[in-house]
Amino acid sequence: MACNLQTSFLPALKFPAEATLDKRRGNGLVVCSVASAADSIMTESTPTGSAAVVRSRPLSRREVETSERKMTDTTGKFGRFGGKFVPETLMTCLSKLEAEFNLVLHDPEFQEELATALRDYVGRETPLYFAQRLTDHYKNESGCGPEIYLKREDLNHGGAHKINNAIAQAMIAKRMGRKSIVAATGAGQHGVATAAACAKLSLKCTIVMGTLDMERQASNVLLMKLLGAEVKSVDGNFKDATSEAIREWVGNLETNYFLIGTAVGPHPCPSMVREFQSIIGKETRRQAMERWGRKPDVLVACVGSGSNALGLFHEFIADEDVRMIGVEAAGFGLESGKHSATLAKGEVGVYHGAMSYLLQDEEGQIVGPHSIGVGMEYPGVSPELSFLKERGRVESYSVTDQEAVDAYQLLCRLEGIFPALEASHALAFLDKLCPTLPDGAKVVVNCSGRGDKDAPTVFRLTQGSSPGDHKRHPVSP
Amino acid sequence: MAASAKTPISRTQTTSLYKPYSSSLQLPFKFLKVTPNSCAAKALSICCALQMEPKVGPGSQVPDSFGRFGKFGGKYVPETLMHALTELESAFRALSGDVEFQKELDGILKDYVGRETPLYFAERLSEHYKRPNGEGPLIYLKREDLNHTGAHKINNAVAQALLAKRLGKTRIIAETGAGQHGVATATVCARFGLQCIVYMGAQDMERQALNVFRMRLLGAEVRAVHSGTATLKDATSEAIRDWVTNVETTHYILGSVAGPHPYPMMVRDFHAVIGKETRKQAMEKWGGKPDVLVACVGGGSNAMGLFYEFVDDEDVRLIGVEAAGFGLDSGKHAATLTKGEVGVLHGAMSYLLQDDDGQIIEPHSISAGLDYPGVGPEHSFLKDLGRAEYHSITDEEALEAFKRLSRLEGIIPALETSHALAYLEKLCPTLPNGAKVVLNCSGRGDKDVHTAIKHLKV
Repeated sequence: MACNLQTSFLPALKFPAEATLDKRRGNGLVVCSVASAADSIMTESTPTGSAAVVRSRPLSRREVETSERKMTDTTGKFGRFGGKFVPETLMTCLSKLEAEFNLVLHDPEFQEELATALRDYVGRETPLYFAQRLTDHYKNESGCGPEIYLKREDLNHGGAHKINNAIAQAMIAKRMGRKSIVAATGAGQHGVATAAACAKLSLKCTIVMGTLDMERQASNVLLMKLLGAEVKSVDGNFKDATSEAIREWVGNLETNYFLIGTAVGPHPCPSMVREFQSIIGKETRRQAMERWGRKPDVLVACVGSGSNALGLFHEFIADEDVRMIGVEAAGFGLESGKHSATLAKGEVGVYHGAMSYLLQDEEGQIVGPHSIGVGMEYPGVSPELSFLKERGRVESYSVTDQEAVDAYQLLCRLEGIFPALEASHALAFLDKLCPTLPDGAKVVVNCSGRGDKDAPTVFRLTQGSSPGDHKRHPVSP
Repeated sequence: MAASAKTPISRTQTTSLYKPYSSSLQLPFKFLKVTPNSCAAKALSICCALQMEPKVGPGSQVPDSFGRFGKFGGKYVPETLMHALTELESAFRALSGDVEFQKELDGILKDYVGRETPLYFAERLSEHYKRPNGEGPLIYLKREDLNHTGAHKINNAVAQALLAKRLGKTRIIAETGAGQHGVATATVCARFGLQCIVYMGAQDMERQALNVFRMRLLGAEVRAVHSGTATLKDATSEAIRDWVTNVETTHYILGSVAGPHPYPMMVRDFHAVIGKETRKQAMEKWGGKPDVLVACVGGGSNAMGLFYEFVDDEDVRLIGVEAAGFGLDSGKHAATLTKGEVGVLHGAMSYLLQDDDGQIIEPHSISAGLDYPGVGPEHSFLKDLGRAEYHSITDEEALEAFKRLSRLEGIIPALETSHALAYLEKLCPTLPNGAKVVLNCSGRGDKDVHTAIKHLKV
C-alpha cells in the first residue's frame, strides 16, 4: 500500500480518522478506506475488479450543523482540513488572535464601528444587479433560460471584495495595540485594500508582492504607494510573497500584525476571513428575498484561494436546495500543467500552515500555478472549501485563460461592466451552466472585483488585431 | 433711457448707454427681459419695461422658458437643431413627472450605479484641520467616487440614455477629452444596447490609448477628429455637426451643465440626486443641514448636483473651486469664473476664457476634467447673484491635496476633486468649531496615478 499523502506532519500529530486514501499505484489495485461512518463505504465495480471506495454522499442537516460547530473549535479543523501547522513561535500569537477574534464577534461596539465603516467607507451594501442583457444572451431558441444576477462586489471602495476583510482585521490590529501591518498580495487588490485601511486607521503598512505580479498588476502597485504603503518585492509570485510576509511577521510578533487576505493559513485565519466576507452572502439572502421572494437556486464564484466564494456561499451552506459552484483557473488547460486548478488536480498536503488540497509534484514540491487572473494563481486553496468539496456540498469546475478573457469582453459589451479577470472565470462558466438550468432559475454570480486593472493585459493580448476589433482574441501560451 | 419696472415696485432711472455695447455692461438693477413700450420717444431714446427677476431657487422657474438663468444660458445653435432641442425639452419635462420613468431610473441608479453613495465622516482629515486649541470644522465626503465607473458622470449618462430610449433614438453620440465622459457614455450604451459613437481629438486619442481601448471594448465606435488642434473643443464641434445631420435617430449625450437649453437644466436635474441624498444623510447624521458645500468646477455638473438642493437655503454656503493651473497670472489656467468674460460658447451664454478678439483661450489644468474654457451658465448666474463663491487652486496645490487624502483616509481622489480638497487648506482656518463641511468627492483617482506619481515622485 502506498500512501501518497504529502504532508509535513509534525511528529506529535495523529492521523485523522476521517482520511481516505484512494490512490492507485502500479499494477495492483489497493484501496484503503478509512472512514468514521460505515455507510460512507460502498463497494463498486471497477475495470480491474471490485473495490471499496469512499464516495461523498450528500450531508444531512445534522451533519452539516455538527460540522459547523466543529469548524469553530480551537483546533480550526474542517473535517481533516485546516489546522495550525506552524512553528512553536507562532502558536501563542495565533491563540491571542483567536481570542481577540472571538471577543470582537460578540462586542456590539466593535460590530457597530465595523458596520459604519462598511457602510460609509467601503460603500456597502453592494447591489444585487439583474443582468438583463446577459440573461437574454443565454436564452435558448424558445426564449427560456435562467436569470443571471451579479453581486456587485466590484463597487466596493478599492474595487474588490478584499476590503471587507482588510478593514475588519485592521480594526482588530488596532484594538490589539499593533502599530504596523504586513500583508502579501497577488493581484494587488488585497494590498490596495490593506493600504487603504491602514491609511484610514493610521497604521504603518508593508505590502509584500512577487516581482512577476508587480509587473502584471503595475497599476495596483502605484495605488499602494500613493496610499502610503511600503511595497517590498520578492522573486516569484503570491506564494513567495506570502512566505516572505510570514517571515517578516514572525520576526516582529509584538508590533506586527499579519493581515491575511484570503481564507488560507493557520487557524484562526481561514475562519476570520470567511467570517468577515460572509456579509456578501448575508446581504444576498436578504436581497434575493426582497427581489423574488425566496433563495437563489445557484451560486457561482471564482476560486483562487476561496475568500470571495466562501463569502457568498457560507450563508447558504445549510440550505441544501442552493447549489454552490466554485470555478477555478484552468490556465492553458488542465492537461497542460499550466493552471491553478487546485481542487481539480491537487492532492492533500500542508501549506502555509493549513492542511488542504495543494498543487504538488511527486516529491511533494509545490507546482508553480498559472492563470491569466493573477488573483487565481495560488497552488493551495482554503481548507474550508476543500472540506465542502470533498463532502459534495460545493461543486468545482475550471475554465481556461481564453474562456475567461472571452467572458471579460462579453460582460463589457453586454452590460458595460468590466469584471476582474478573476471574476471573469465565474462568468465564463455560465456558458456551460446555463443550458442545463431550468427556465427562470435564479443564478447569483459573485462579481468579486472590477477589471480596470486588467484592461492593459487584455489590451496587450489584442494589440495584434485591427483597431475596433473586439471579437474573440486568442490567448497564446 | 427711461425705464419703469412693473408692479409692485415703480422706479425711474436714467442710464446712459455708450456704443459699442459691451457684453459686460452692468445695469443698475437686474432684469429678465426687455419689452419695448410704445411711447412718445425723443430721438435717441428708448422706452422699455423691465421685469424684475423672481427669487432664485428650485421652486421657481430657473431657468425660464428661454433657458436663461438671468442673462446666462439660452440656445445659441443653428436653426436645424432648434427642433431637436425643443423636442428634448418636452420629453424631459414629460418624463420628470412620469412615475414609471422615475421608478426605472431609480432602480438603475440603485442596482447598476450603486447609489445611494455614503456621506463619509473623514475623521483623520478633520483632525488635520484642527487648530492648536482642538477646535475645527468637521469634514464629510460625499462619495461619488464609489459610483460604477468611478465618478458622478454616470448619474447623468444613465438618465440621458434612458431618455433617448424613451424618445425612440437608437444612436448616441458624445464628445470626450481625456476619455472619462466617453467611457461613461459607452458604458450606458452597452447597458441599454444603444449604438454609440464617441468623437475624440486625434491628439487626445494618442495620449489616452487605454481609454480608447476601453470604449471599444464597451462596443463604442471612437472617431478621430483631425481638425483644429485635434482636442476637446474640436471634438465637440464635430459631434454637434453629426447631431445636426442625424437628428432624427440620434441623441447627443452632453456630459456637463454647459451647452444649449435644455442641457444645463437636464444635466443639473439628473445630478441633483447628489444634493437630495446629502440633505437626508445630513439630517440622519447630525440632525441639521450642512454649513458649507464645496465642489470642484470644470463644466460644473458635480457642483450643481450638490448645490442645487440647497440654493434656497441661504444659511448654506456654496463654494466652487476652479483650476488655476500654473497660476492665475500665468495665462495657463482654467479659472473661467475668476478670469473669464461673458460670451457664447457651445450654445450657451456664460463666462468664458476669451482674448480681446473674442477668441477662445486654450485653458490648462493638470486635471483633464477641469480643462474647459467655459462653465455652466447656472454657475455664472449664481456667481453674479452672489449666491455662490468661486475660488481657484493651482496644479501644485491640487497634487498636494491628492496625496493628503490618500495618506490620511486611504481614498485616492480624482485630480479634479483634489482641487476642492485643496481649498480646505484656506477654508478651514476661517470656520467656527464644529462647522459641518460637505465636500463632493466627485471621482476616484485611479485614472490619475501615473500623472501623480510623475509629479509627486513617490
